[in-house]
Amino acid sequence: MFCDKAMELIRELHRAPEGQLPAFNEDGLRQVLEEMKALYEQNQSDVNEAKSGGRSDLIPTIKFRHCSLLRNRRCTVAYLYDRLLRIRALRWEYGSVLPNALRFHMAAEEMEWFNNYKRSLATYMRSLGGDEGLDITQDMKPPKSLYIEVRCLKDYGEFEVDDGTSVLLKKNSQHFLPRWKCEQLIRQGVLEHILS
Amino acid sequence: MFVSDFRKEFYEVVQSQRVLLFVASDVDALCACKILQALFQCDHVQYTLVPVSGWQELETAFLEHKEQFHYFILINCGANVDLLDILQPDEDTIFFVCDTHRPVNVVNVYNDTQIKLLIKQDDDLEVPAYEDIFRDEEEDEEHSGNDSDGSEPSEKRTRLEEEIVEQTMRRRQRREWEARRRDILFDYEQYEYHGTSSAMVMFELAWMLSKDLNDMLWWAIVGLTDQWVQDKITQMKYVTDVGVLQRHVSRHNHRNEDEENTLSVDCTRISFEYDLRLVLYQHWSLHDSLCNTSYTAARFKLWSVHGQKRLQEFLADMGLPLKQVKQKFQAMDISLKENLREMIEESANKFGMKDMRVQTFSIHFGFKHKFLASDVVFATMSLMESPEKDGSGTDHFIQALDSLSRSNLDKLYHGLELAKKQLRATQQTIASCLCTNLVISQGPFLYCSLMEGTPDVMLFSRPASLSLLSKHLLKSFVCSTKNRRCKLLPLVMAAPLSVEHGTVTVVGIPPETDSSDRKNFFGRAFEKAAESTSSRMLHNHFDLSVIELKAEDRSKFLDALISLLS
Repeated sequence: MFCDKAMELIRELHRAPEGQLPAFNEDGLRQVLEEMKALYEQNQSDVNEAKSGGRSDLIPTIKFRHCSLLRNRRCTVAYLYDRLLRIRALRWEYGSVLPNALRFHMAAEEMEWFNNYKRSLATYMRSLGGDEGLDITQDMKPPKSLYIEVRCLKDYGEFEVDDGTSVLLKKNSQHFLPRWKCEQLIRQGVLEHILS
Repeated sequence: MFVSDFRKEFYEVVQSQRVLLFVASDVDALCACKILQALFQCDHVQYTLVPVSGWQELETAFLEHKEQFHYFILINCGANVDLLDILQPDEDTIFFVCDTHRPVNVVNVYNDTQIKLLIKQDDDLEVPAYEDIFRDEEEDEEHSGNDSDGSEPSEKRTRLEEEIVEQTMRRRQRREWEARRRDILFDYEQYEYHGTSSAMVMFELAWMLSKDLNDMLWWAIVGLTDQWVQDKITQMKYVTDVGVLQRHVSRHNHRNEDEENTLSVDCTRISFEYDLRLVLYQHWSLHDSLCNTSYTAARFKLWSVHGQKRLQEFLADMGLPLKQVKQKFQAMDISLKENLREMIEESANKFGMKDMRVQTFSIHFGFKHKFLASDVVFATMSLMESPEKDGSGTDHFIQALDSLSRSNLDKLYHGLELAKKQLRATQQTIASCLCTNLVISQGPFLYCSLMEGTPDVMLFSRPASLSLLSKHLLKSFVCSTKNRRCKLLPLVMAAPLSVEHGTVTVVGIPPETDSSDRKNFFGRAFEKAAESTSSRMLHNHFDLSVIELKAEDRSKFLDALISLLS
């Protein structure tokens, strides 16, 4: 059946839960592009034959192959676009530096797109808020207080605080720290916000 | 040194700094910690909280954190030993110690720079005077430099004789002074006891800063009640402290009595109660509570059949049907619950129990949540000492700390269930010990040892549970024995701690008398006995009368203890 490989790509992305980026399926994409090329060449030869030889019974086949080509194109574009959306969400989730595991999952072009996105986001943030710029990736929900109480869920090690000194994060120790320093670690699951 | 103005010398110093809190594992410390946390959160003081359950944990945690902090606050640990010696801190580290353990070590009292004690000085401390214990070393060296001056031989000889006489005089004085110093220190450090609850001290600090709330007041009440439940303070002191807290309670909660401006019925209110001392009776059935409170179980002698009959008589005397009494308290008939307290008090008087009611406090919030202070104490204590193996010690500490907030009621109820199990196990163990005569008199003290196969023995490997069990056992034993002399003896109790390491926990309890001052001499006695027999003993717990001992050394340790105390 035509377009099966393209469906595979879509299904792979559909199976990955929200926010996760599976590895870039270069193989699958290449197969889809080959299939498209084969279909196109067959269509090309058939069109020539239909025009010159007057064989109008080839026209439904040509139409069918054309539909498959369109479907393949739609599936690949959806695949690439969804991956880009996920990569964009990664910037908001993890910050500018991505963990290595995620970087291996991205293709070179996707990396480039990510860098460009980072740059335009940074330029935009610098243009807000007067001289210093405003970091809009902080405080995704309206904060209730400057400092929050957090509890450490696993041993993390030393963690630097604003005035240069560091705090040792050991399991089950509780800390009262500024909100903006803790947000990253809360998202990673090392700290837990305690509401008393 | 003692801090006189808590606000200026403690709070304003730490307000702009980052501090590390070391909190011991008992309910009073938890309550003091909650109050201090609330104050710090109000003022945005960055802090880190590290739970510690013994000296070893304190030392390791200190080593890990000493690079990062300059200010340390110790709650319910550290006042009774030489802190600088044990922790070896840097020059600019400052410790604030808020501890109920007495006597306060003299080095901690007289160190002016690094150790600040958050302890009220009117707490009958009887610290020896500075001159009696410390002596400047410079005086001796001055005199020894004078020998070499001498010009003429005859003058030199007489001067030499004089100097020899002077030196012998000085040496004799020095020896007398040292002997006196040893005596004074021995008297001072001989008995261990407890002072004002740390939670109350913290609450007074909050009051001074005008930042006190009803919640903090409740925690102070729970801290004080913990000291009473664990028999750490005398009855007199408890009543005095209750009076102090009652003034605060009426200050915060007077709107309940005012007819016009009453609060809505589901707001938090604390009220003073003169309530029954039956443990958890409002969350349990009356019958269960009567059987599992050590006061009633000991007086009725519920481990014997005769005792059970007396209990039935008691209930019949009040006219309470057995079926009602065995139901959950909240499901009992309203008509029976109406004058319950007075009825029970009257009947108890007839049966020889004069102190059935105690002064305490209760809290109401929401429409159906009502707790007495002792309920919360038992629930939190059981959460902290539960023997479940899936969490480490700090997990239990965190659970217990959470259960004190009003938004974590499910944890509090879970704690109540654990407390019921613990109390039942305690009474069953006591009953079996008394029926099988496991409590033997060793001469100067009574001794009881729990064998490894005893049911629920793992519940009693933690220090507070074991101390509570031992105290109740002693009370029951005193009621059960006819031997006059045995009634005045203290108790030493041993329970297996860890099978792999072959260790037992040993606890010493002072004798049970009506007007006892709760002073415990076992700390020093255990130390000396272990030294003289070189037994492998570990003084891990902050209370010096609880030790860990290797099981093989048990018999020689006991022999040494017997010879020491007789």
